[in-house]
Amino acid sequence: MLAALLALLLSGEPETVIMNPAPTAADWAALAKLPDWSGVWTPGISDQVRRIKADPVPWKPELAAQVKALEAEEAAGRPKGLFVDCLPEAMPSWMLISHNAMEVLFTPGRVTLLGESDGNRLRRIYTDGRGHPPDPDPTFHGHSIGHWEGQTLVVDTVGVLPETYLAVSEAVGIPNDGDLHVLERIHLAAPDVLHDELEIIAPRILTRPWKTTRLFYRQRARKYDIVEGVCLQGFFAERKDAHGNAVFVPLPHVDGNPVAQPGRSPP
Amino acid sequence: MTPSRLLVCVVLASVALTARSARAHHSFAMFDFEKVVTLTGTVKEFQWTNPHVVLWVNADGKDPKKPDVWYLEMTSPGNLTRGGWSRKACNAGDRVTVELNPLRNGDLGGALIKVTNQTTGQTFSTNLRDMEKPNLK
Repeated sequence: MLAALLALLLSGEPETVIMNPAPTAADWAALAKLPDWSGVWTPGISDQVRRIKADPVPWKPELAAQVKALEAEEAAGRPKGLFVDCLPEAMPSWMLISHNAMEVLFTPGRVTLLGESDGNRLRRIYTDGRGHPPDPDPTFHGHSIGHWEGQTLVVDTVGVLPETYLAVSEAVGIPNDGDLHVLERIHLAAPDVLHDELEIIAPRILTRPWKTTRLFYRQRARKYDIVEGVCLQGFFAERKDAHGNAVFVPLPHVDGNPVAQPGRSPP
Repeated sequence: MTPSRLLVCVVLASVALTARSARAHHSFAMFDFEKVVTLTGTVKEFQWTNPHVVLWVNADGKDPKKPDVWYLEMTSPGNLTRGGWSRKACNAGDRVTVELNPLRNGDLGGALIKVTNQTTGQTFSTNLRDMEKPNLK
């Protein structure tokens, strides 16, 4: 006791430790009042493509040449690989261009989006009333806080790595370059159709905030359940070693890409 | 050559074979979706891994000792499972007929449209656009 008092006197103000409280029975019961987003959600890929054409990204003029060149390469059958190194599509590109399913989990104080195919495709959206940290460490999916407005989850995301792409396809995108801010309103537009209305504020690469919407369709058939998907597994061949053990044998690759791909010469 | 050295050689040869693989998360723009090629052959290997499943086929040709080895890509195991596939849809040695959209550059590869496995009598196809509605069975 005396030692603790002495330490306090010497160190000045005690450090404030923010504790995450244990959820109460009432917290768990409150989840039942939220809309039902259970099941597996498959993306509307045709709608993604249609919306990107109908409402193109307002790229800054100085980036237009880069985007045009990427589009030309893709059209010519020489797509630049934005994600060939298996790094996550990140925010907001996961929501914008994914071809893969996701599921949504509600727990007290949090909504969690779990996606398929690239291993750590995961968004944690804190709904416990906290704000963003003053200077969050940038991550692929950023720091997300949310709150419910009726049946709509309103999400605010900052702290996304500047190197991650604002992508309109798997071959066309520009790194956000920092200061990215994404606002979302996620809600059921029909009993089994989820809409994610996005407002993407990327002042370093866009002339104005870009608003667009993405659709996801609910599936309940068990064969639609999310399966584990580790993108990097594709960098290995499943073989036997000299002892007969089942092993992953790394495929040769350079700069995160296999040394040869169909349609591309080895670098 | 000792048995273990022989096995190492087999392993290395297998790695060399798969080095052409585009086992990364990528666009499918390198495939020509205006063209459809049909080929018949024998399954060399069925690689059931993310992010893209790959079917290797030894296509029937003039010289059975030197078959053309085709590399056929599709979507992920999760998406294929939803379309009725499994990792046992194709097995090494199975006789198959495959429809594909070929690589634009003329290499022996393509995006798989449909495979008819003559050995098992089963047919599998894949089109994510077929999953763009809710409550599919």
